[in-house]
Amino acid sequence: MFRFQSLDEDCTLEEEDEGQIEEEDGIDQFNDDTFGAGAIDDDWQEEHKRLAGLDRTGLGAGLGLGGGGMGGESDLGGAINSTHLHSSAGHLPLPSSLKFSSSSGLPLPDMEDRGGGGGLAESLARLILEADPAIAGVGAAERPGPSSSSSGSSLSPLQGLERPRVLPQPSCIPHLTQSHQLPHHPQHQLPPGPSISGLPPGTSPMSMLSYQQQQHMLRRGTAPMAQMNSHSIWENSMGFGPVSVTPTLVTHMEDSPLMSIIKEVGLPKRAPQGRNDEARDLSERVPPPRSSSPVIGSPPVRAVPIGTPPKQPMSHALNHQIHHPTAVHVRAPIQHRYPPPFPERVSPNTLLNLANSPLCCGPFPPGVGPVLSQIQRAQLLNSQVAGFPRGGPAAPLLPGGGGFRPFFGGPPPPLGHRMGPPPPHCPPNHTPPIRHNTTHLHPQHRRMLTQRMQNRGGEHGRTGGDRRSRDPYSNLMSQKEKEWVTKIQMMQLQSTDPYLDDYYYQNYYEKMEKRQERERDSSKKEHTTKLITPQVAKVEHTYRPVQFAGSLGKLTVSSVNNPRKMIDAVVTTRTDDEEKREKQVWNKRRQILYTVEKMYSLLLEVQDFEKRFVQAPEEDREVLLEQHKSNTVQLCNSLREKEWDDRVSDEQCVMIMSVRKGKRLISRLLPFLPSPQSAAVVMAISRNLPALAKKDKQDQVLCWLVEPVSAVILSLSSSALTDLLQELQGNEGQLATVLHNKFGVTLLYLILSEGERMQSSDSNCQLMDDNRWTELVFSVTRELLSVPASSLSPPLFTPPNLLSLFSRYVDRQRLEVLQDKLQISSLSR
Amino acid sequence: MNYVPGTASLIDDIDKKHLVLLRDGRTLIGYLRSIDQFANLVFHQTVERIHVGKKFGDIPRGIFIVRGENVVLLGEIDMEKPCDTVLQQVSIEEILEEQRLQQQSKQETEKVKMLALKDRGLSIPKADNLDEY
Repeated sequence: MFRFQSLDEDCTLEEEDEGQIEEEDGIDQFNDDTFGAGAIDDDWQEEHKRLAGLDRTGLGAGLGLGGGGMGGESDLGGAINSTHLHSSAGHLPLPSSLKFSSSSGLPLPDMEDRGGGGGLAESLARLILEADPAIAGVGAAERPGPSSSSSGSSLSPLQGLERPRVLPQPSCIPHLTQSHQLPHHPQHQLPPGPSISGLPPGTSPMSMLSYQQQQHMLRRGTAPMAQMNSHSIWENSMGFGPVSVTPTLVTHMEDSPLMSIIKEVGLPKRAPQGRNDEARDLSERVPPPRSSSPVIGSPPVRAVPIGTPPKQPMSHALNHQIHHPTAVHVRAPIQHRYPPPFPERVSPNTLLNLANSPLCCGPFPPGVGPVLSQIQRAQLLNSQVAGFPRGGPAAPLLPGGGGFRPFFGGPPPPLGHRMGPPPPHCPPNHTPPIRHNTTHLHPQHRRMLTQRMQNRGGEHGRTGGDRRSRDPYSNLMSQKEKEWVTKIQMMQLQSTDPYLDDYYYQNYYEKMEKRQERERDSSKKEHTTKLITPQVAKVEHTYRPVQFAGSLGKLTVSSVNNPRKMIDAVVTTRTDDEEKREKQVWNKRRQILYTVEKMYSLLLEVQDFEKRFVQAPEEDREVLLEQHKSNTVQLCNSLREKEWDDRVSDEQCVMIMSVRKGKRLISRLLPFLPSPQSAAVVMAISRNLPALAKKDKQDQVLCWLVEPVSAVILSLSSSALTDLLQELQGNEGQLATVLHNKFGVTLLYLILSEGERMQSSDSNCQLMDDNRWTELVFSVTRELLSVPASSLSPPLFTPPNLLSLFSRYVDRQRLEVLQDKLQISSLSR
Repeated sequence: MNYVPGTASLIDDIDKKHLVLLRDGRTLIGYLRSIDQFANLVFHQTVERIHVGKKFGDIPRGIFIVRGENVVLLGEIDMEKPCDTVLQQVSIEEILEEQRLQQQSKQETEKVKMLALKDRGLSIPKADNLDEY
C-alpha cells in the first residue's frame, strides 16, 4: 500500500489502508446507529472565520488573491487546523494541494518556477482525467452546463483549470484571516503538477493518502463547505456524485473541470448572499469532517454531544459521504431516486445518505440552504404549509432554487414525509399521503391501524394545519430532526427475536387473529398464522483493538461494541481440597433433598388415593388401585439403600431424617408402610437417636414423629418391643443422651408404657419369657435414678401406667424418687 | 400523522399546547417545540401554574427545557374545549403568598406529627427522601 508519509513531526497518527477504512466504517456505522448520525461536529470557529472573511473581503479580494487558491500547503499530519492556519502563513488547506504535496511547509521548487498557466493546467487536467475515469465522465457530462454565466467564457474543462486558482478563493477566504497570507499564495498555485506526474499512473488517489491525511484534508478542506456557501449545486452533486470518487477527488474536482461551472453558478449568488449575511446563523454552517483520529470502534468525535439532532440535511449527508465514501458504491444514477421512508436493514447513516442526496435541496432549494436561521426556516416552512408566501426570504429563494433543478436530473418527486412546496393547485392544507413503515408491526396490528387511520382521515390534519399556520414559531423542529428522532425510536423496535423481545405483543395479536378467524368461519379449523416480522440480521461487530503502525501493543478504545471495563471483579477461588469438600457436602445435601422430594410426591399420591378412589367411577377403580400399590411399593423401595436389599436401610433413613422435610416425610409415611417396614424404620430411629437428636438441634421437629411412632409401637410384638427398647438403650451412654432429648424420653416412655400394658393386660404375653425386658427396664430405672433431674427432658406426655411399671421393678423408696423426678403420680392416668 | 404507527411518539405533539407535570410537583403549560430520543422537551411560552386550593396563578417562564426523566405526565391541551372551571385565577403575588401559607401550615402539621411519633418511639421517613436512597 502506498503510504504517503508526512514528514511532520507531530504526525502521530497511523496510516490506514482502504480495508481498515471500510472496517471502520462498518463498525462506526453501528456506533453511529446508537443515536444516528445526528450530531455533527461543528467547528464554529472555522465557520465564523470563513464567514467573516467572506463578508469582509468579498469577491474582489478573492479574485485578487489569485493563484493562491489552488495552492496551500498544509500539514499532512493531524495537526489542528486553526493552529496551523495561524501559525504558518500561506497555508491554504485546499484538499487538492494536500493531496499532492509531499512535504509540509515546503513549497515545491517547481512551483515557483512555473508561473502557473497553461502548462501546469494542462498537466493537471491530464492527470485528473487520467486518474479517475469518473471525473472525466462527470466533466464530460457537465460540460453542457450551466445556464447563466457571468464570465461568459466557454467551459472546457481544461480552460477551466485556470480558474481554479481563482474560484476556490471565496471558499478559502475564511481561512485567510489576515492578509499576511497573500504573499505566499503565488507559491501555492498549482503544486500538484510535478508531484502528480511523479505518481505511478493508475494509483488510486485514495491510496495515496492515508486515511488520516484525507481526514485532515477534509477537515480543513473548505471547498465543500465553501461551495455550499457559494450556493452552488455542484458542490452537492460532487459530494454525491460517482461515489467511487474519493473525497480528495471530490475536492479536486472542484478545481478542475467543474470550477468554471461553479464559478458561474456560484458567483452570481454572492449578491443575494451578501444581503443575508446578517441573517445568517453561523451555527448552520456545514461542519468540517472529523479531524481527530478515527480510531476503529470509537464513535465519531463530536464537538456537539451525542444526541444532538441534525442541523442541516446537506452537511449531514456530506459529512457522511465523506466519512464513508465506500459506503455507497456506484450510486450515481440511484441517488436521484427517492428511497422508501424507512427501509429495513439500512443503517440510519446510509439511509440519510440516500435520503439526503436528493433531499439536499429540500425542503429548501439548494440555493437557499444554510442561509436561514432556525426561525426563518420555520417561517418558510410555515409559509409553505399555509400556501401563501411570507415574503422576505421566501420569495427570492424559491425561484432561484427552481432554476437549478435540471442539474439534478429532473425535479425531485415529493417524498411522502417531506414537507415540500405543495403544488399550487393543491389546497393549502393538503399533506401528501404519508407512507409509513409498518413492517415492524404484526400483520394484524397493521391491518387494524390502517383501518383506524382511514377512519380518522384528515379531520385532525386540517384543523391542526390551520392553527399551525398562524403560529410563527411552529416547525422549529425540522422534518429531518423529526425523522431522526423517529428513526431512533424505530431502531428500538427492531428485533432479532420478536418472541423474546416482545412476547406479549406477539401473543396478543396472534390470539386476536385466531379469534377473528374463529368468528369469521364457524368451522373449527385450526388456523396457524405465520408471523411475519422483520428480522434484523444479527450483525456481530467484533471489536478489533486498534494498533498503531510501528508501535507495540494495541490501543483499547471503548465503544458501543466494546464497552469499557468498569469494575475489576476479582474472583476468589478456594483451594481444590476445600472446594471438593464443600462440593461433596452440597452434593450430598442436594441428593437428600432430591430423594425427599421424590418420596413426597409419591406419598402425596398415596395419601390422596382414598379420596380419588371414592370419587372414581367403577372402571377406573382398579387402575387406581394398581397405581396405589405401585406407589406404595416404590415408597418402600426408596427407603432401601440398594435395590436388592430387602431391609430398610438405616443410613437411608437417617439421611432422610437429617433434613427437616425428611422428618416430616417419615412421620407422614409411617402409617402407610407395611408393618415390618414401619417397625424397621422405628428401630432405625431408636438406634440412631443420638445422631438424629444432634441433627435436630436446630429444627427441633423430632417430636413430629411421636404420633406415628407411637402408633407403630402399639402394633409391635413383645419381642419387637424388647428389641426396640434394647436399640434405644444401645451402647453405653446412649440412654443418657436419649433422656436428654424430649423425643427420646417420650419414646422411652411409650415403649415402657406399651410393655406395661402388654404385661398387665395380656397375662400370657411373652414379654416376660426371657429376662431381656426385665433387665432392660432395670437398666432404664437405674439410669433414670442416676440421671440428675435437670438433664432429664420433660416428655411430651407421660403415659399413666408408668407408675405401675416402676412399681413392679423398684422398691418403694426408689419409686418415690422416680415419682418426684418424673413427676408421675398415681393420679396421672 | 403518526410517523411510527402502532407506537407512541411525541412527534405528533409538536407545536401543540401541553401541560406537563414534573417530578418536583411543578405544573408547566407551554407549546411543545422540540423533543429528542430521551423525551427531553422544549417548551415555548411556558407558564408555570401554581394551584392552591381553588385559586391558581400563572407565572410566565419563557422557554423551558425539561429533562425527560423528570416528567411525570404530559398531556395535550385541547384549545377548542370550553374552559369551564371552578378555579379562580389570581395574580402572581397572591398565589405565591397562598402557596407559602400552604407550605407553612403543612410543615407545621408535619412537625407536630413527627413530634408525636417521636414520643411514641416511631419514626416514619419523609416521602421526599425516598427517591434518593
